[in-house]
Amino acid sequence: MLSLKHISKWITLGGKPNFLLKDVNLTINQGEFVSIMGPSGSGKSTLLHIIGMLDDFNEGEYLFMDQPVHTLKEKQRSALYKQHIGFVFQAYHLIDELTVYENIETPLIYQNVKSSERKAIVADMLDRFQIVGKKDLFPTQLSGGQQQLVGIARALIAKPQLLLADEPTGNLNSKQGEEIMDLFKQLNNEGVTIIQVTHSEKNAGYGSRIIHLLDGRIEQEQQP
Amino acid sequence: MLKHYFLTAIRNMKRNKVFSSINIIGLSLGLVCSLLITLWVLDEYRKDAFHVNKENLYSIYQREYYDNKVTGSFYTPGILAAELKKQLPAIENSTAIGWEQRATFKLGDKILQFQGNSSDSDFFKMFSYPLLEGNAQAALAGPNSIAISRSMAVAFFGTPQAAFGKIIRIDDRKDMTISAVYEDMPGTSSIQWDYIINWTDFLDKNSWLKEWGNNDPLTIVQLRSDADVSKFEAQIKNFITKIAGEFPGYRVELGLQKYTDKYLHSNFKDGVIAGGRIEYVRLFSIIAVFILLIACINFMNLTTARSMKRAREIGVRKVVGAIRGRLIRQFLGEAVVVTAIAMVFALILLYFTLPAFNQLTQKEIEFPFSNGLFWICIASLVLITGILSGSYPALFLSSFKPITVLKGVLRVNSASANWFRKGLVVFQFALSSLLIIGTIVVSQQVRFIQNSNLGYSRDHVLKITLQGDLPKHYESFMQRASQVNGISSVSSANMDPIRLGNITMGVSWEGKDPDAKPTFTQLAVGYDFLKTMEIQLKEGRDFSRSFGTDTLSYVLNETAVKKIGYTDPIGKPFTFWGTKGTIVGVVKDFNFNSLHFAINPLVLRLDRDKNSGFVLLRLEGSKTMAAMQQLEKLHKEFNPNFPFSYTFADDDFQKAYKSETLTGKLSNCFAALAIMISCLGLLGLAMFAAEQRVREIGIRKILGASLQSLFVILSKEFLLLVFIAFVIACPIAWWMMNNWLQDFEFRIHIDAWPFALAGIAAMAIALITISFQTIRAALANPVTSLKSE
Repeated sequence: MLSLKHISKWITLGGKPNFLLKDVNLTINQGEFVSIMGPSGSGKSTLLHIIGMLDDFNEGEYLFMDQPVHTLKEKQRSALYKQHIGFVFQAYHLIDELTVYENIETPLIYQNVKSSERKAIVADMLDRFQIVGKKDLFPTQLSGGQQQLVGIARALIAKPQLLLADEPTGNLNSKQGEEIMDLFKQLNNEGVTIIQVTHSEKNAGYGSRIIHLLDGRIEQEQQP
Repeated sequence: MLKHYFLTAIRNMKRNKVFSSINIIGLSLGLVCSLLITLWVLDEYRKDAFHVNKENLYSIYQREYYDNKVTGSFYTPGILAAELKKQLPAIENSTAIGWEQRATFKLGDKILQFQGNSSDSDFFKMFSYPLLEGNAQAALAGPNSIAISRSMAVAFFGTPQAAFGKIIRIDDRKDMTISAVYEDMPGTSSIQWDYIINWTDFLDKNSWLKEWGNNDPLTIVQLRSDADVSKFEAQIKNFITKIAGEFPGYRVELGLQKYTDKYLHSNFKDGVIAGGRIEYVRLFSIIAVFILLIACINFMNLTTARSMKRAREIGVRKVVGAIRGRLIRQFLGEAVVVTAIAMVFALILLYFTLPAFNQLTQKEIEFPFSNGLFWICIASLVLITGILSGSYPALFLSSFKPITVLKGVLRVNSASANWFRKGLVVFQFALSSLLIIGTIVVSQQVRFIQNSNLGYSRDHVLKITLQGDLPKHYESFMQRASQVNGISSVSSANMDPIRLGNITMGVSWEGKDPDAKPTFTQLAVGYDFLKTMEIQLKEGRDFSRSFGTDTLSYVLNETAVKKIGYTDPIGKPFTFWGTKGTIVGVVKDFNFNSLHFAINPLVLRLDRDKNSGFVLLRLEGSKTMAAMQQLEKLHKEFNPNFPFSYTFADDDFQKAYKSETLTGKLSNCFAALAIMISCLGLLGLAMFAAEQRVREIGIRKILGASLQSLFVILSKEFLLLVFIAFVIACPIAWWMMNNWLQDFEFRIHIDAWPFALAGIAAMAIALITISFQTIRAALANPVTSLKSE
């Protein structure tokens, strides 16, 4: 599905390059559930953002579904990830001014889906996540677990093949976290490729493959 | 999509009530202010535009070269209009127009006064004042014909139909036949007359105007639509010289101005038309734009100030697939929605303030409910204002990189954005300072005019028009009037002594250069004129009954003596209109005209005819009411066919400076508004700064910073901005106000204190505005602010 070849990213501090990622090579296939682990500052999030095309890199090649991302223009890149990638964040990042329903609907609006179609798709999603009764509430009226559920629903609404999650359970208690991870497992079984960044060994165990980062390099890969 | 913009806009507003109120109040005030000014400006431009022939109507003006100067005026000989038409085929119609007069009409027992004028018979063919009765051809054809307005017809006869063809007595001197009734002149007309008398009568009454050297009436021509205007202008240039011959040391030329332009462009400078009301129209248009700009800047600043809160939303929107254009559209859309809401408030406000505004500006502007164009303008104003004020936030906010804002590392504080915002504040406060300084200077000048020592006392001076039987019984009326308890002195003058415009070249003296053509202002007065007007005598004496030969005596002002060059003027010869006499007195210079003009040489002579002009009475301040009642009774006895109509000199004086007073009042309002709106913006910005520096403040507090030191840190920057704005505004304000004051011959000197006051006021208001915010930020618990990291 995607492959990173010799990816490096650095920022220059005091005239010296400071590597965030150094010569990362990584291939991820369709249907995988990959966990990225590593201590703070090891480059986990940076790697995830580069995969999600939200961040640039200084060196290397990135092929996403056979498209060379590093040569694409901003607009094309945005069109690409908008179509194929969904994001889930630790802090949920729902829009406070919009209701649950509208939050989930937003990506469809930006993909110019017709109003009637949008209605049907969002209704399906609400149904599936069993949050129909909450559709008119605002994010601040929901618990953390429910907010993350909405966040995932929003990430999935445009039917992406790849779901990127940056510590999706970081702000949740263990029970809520478990529910989210079970949901991820189930989604993966349905064919969605998932890459998650996590601190927790237990959560990493849900994946099919764990990548350990240290100081911007891939230190080790393991199968749980 | 639209629904979405609307929804987010409304929800955002609800969530931030304080912010939204500041935003909407500021914008509404700005909008209502510009709307009022716009309506006023449009009304000014609409003056006289309704005349069907407006493209071909021209005023003729005179440019005179004499005494080493060039002057221009619309005053022309009374026979010019007819002569031009006779000689030049390019003219289709022409008319002379006399001076406006309040005339007394009598029908049976009914006596009423109306304001009107005299004109040639072409009048109704040229101008679009629809006739209800009669036809344009015959309306003013005969020496006895008079045209009257619907109001006047209704007042006397009940209906226009009933008035037509009837006879009415005017000023108790002549019976005239109503040959036409016209619809009341609309508010968009620069003239407002209830009657128009034929020109033959006017010329017979004022036969001096049949001579080419005497000017006063206006001349207006209607050119044929195929006429070559520039050729015509060349033809008329030396028209008068060709007819009247040349005079040594004097030359007159004729010029042409579109009739519709006269209302706004009626001033002359060195013989060329230079401004007039248009200057006020321009001034207020600029102010309208300024205020709207200030309001827009507010909007920008307040919205960007809130960008911290919305940065995350933008990041999320971008991550879920919004491209930049989409976000720009969203923010512009929101701005337009907010502007539209502000506009609704502004329109409501406009509806309620319009009557007061009309009263202030003496206008009859109506709320243009049914005017489609108005609503189109409103819609475009909403769009333009919305897009203008939303553009910066839209561009700025949409440029956030999603990952940085989502990570919480905000780059809102980018240098360029900061400079831009500071620039806006400087601009805003520079405009406000400009308005404050301008307001102070204008009101200083207005006060200066009102309090200036004119050289005479205009308080408690009553003017009664000398008309009807009054001239006949002049001596006995004056005798009786002077005995009324509460009247300290009586006199008369053949013209209004507050606005003396009658100038003449018919003066001469010993040793005068025969080719020099100095102009003297002249006035014929009764006995005790100096006493009644409280004009100071410098040397010699006033006219007196104890000198039988006083009909050959002249009293001059200082300027006149200076012009003549006599060192010891008393007893020296002076010739006026061919009558040689002697100078018996010299008065100190007094302002007998507008303070816009320098004092002209003046010659006073004793009035022999006393058949027109004014009786002047000085009242004792405390007994005004009783004296007035007595006077009314006396007037009725002597002049039964005329109502007792009078004016106070002071009121007339105030009227002469109407536009200055109005400018003063309006600029007061607008300056206050501008400052208010600017402060709203500053408030928003202070909120922004406090929010942005919340972490810095938290750290400083943990390190032991005191409240005072935090306050200084937070306020310093703003005060610096306001100060810079003020420094920029000063020279511009000085230049603008100096320019404005040039229009006054008698003007104040611009002091430093209005500048200092404006500067201090701006700083103080700014400081008070931001202090609420800074104190709140400085008082906040550092733990909560640092946790937000």
